[in-house]
Amino acid sequence: MITLGLVLLAYLFSIAMLFTYKAITEKDLIKAVIFSASQSVAYAIAYAVLLAPDIMLAYIAIGIGVYSIILLYVISKTERYERG
Amino acid sequence: MNPEHVVVLYLYAALFVVFGISVYGIVIKPHIVKKLIALSILGDTANTLIILLGYRTLPKPWPPVFPELEPSLELIEEFTKLSVDPLPQVLVITAIVINMAVTALLAFLAIQVYRLYGTLDFRKVLKLRGW
Repeated sequence: MITLGLVLLAYLFSIAMLFTYKAITEKDLIKAVIFSASQSVAYAIAYAVLLAPDIMLAYIAIGIGVYSIILLYVISKTERYERG
Repeated sequence: MNPEHVVVLYLYAALFVVFGISVYGIVIKPHIVKKLIALSILGDTANTLIILLGYRTLPKPWPPVFPELEPSLELIEEFTKLSVDPLPQVLVITAIVINMAVTALLAFLAIQVYRLYGTLDFRKVLKLRGW
């Protein structure tokens, strides 16, 4: 029997797959960071569906907040576009 | 093979596709920040795979929390029948924090590479070092 949780997980992992592809192939690094954060949103909702709410709480703060801040700091200190 | 197994197989296949894309990003892409993004995605995908191993495909699985302060024996039996596995979640919450620390260290190294060589392209850095 297919439960609602399995359907939601399939949907969220498909979104994560799409955003990972976009993040890897994007030349503008700020857009790549935004795609990576969107993929983190999909994983955070998937953790809630997988009944791990404690990990969801930690992962929202780290995966969406801290990773984006670190990467945007690196991009602001270096270069924005990936060439070649 | 019933349809539930097909959906579970699709979940594992989707996670392994994300694995493949991020390993491609780490190995093929020359830009260091792009490698950093791919590395963080790879770590999170590994964590999600570990949590998915502990999930139960029941109609209504329980979160791994006792609903009472002093659980009786029947409640513990019901809990072991219906609850998801708490051990992968305990392992993963450590791994997430360690991944964050590794990403911060590598971000510092990327800034230092840009200060020393003026580029973040890995091939140009190797050329400047004479390899």
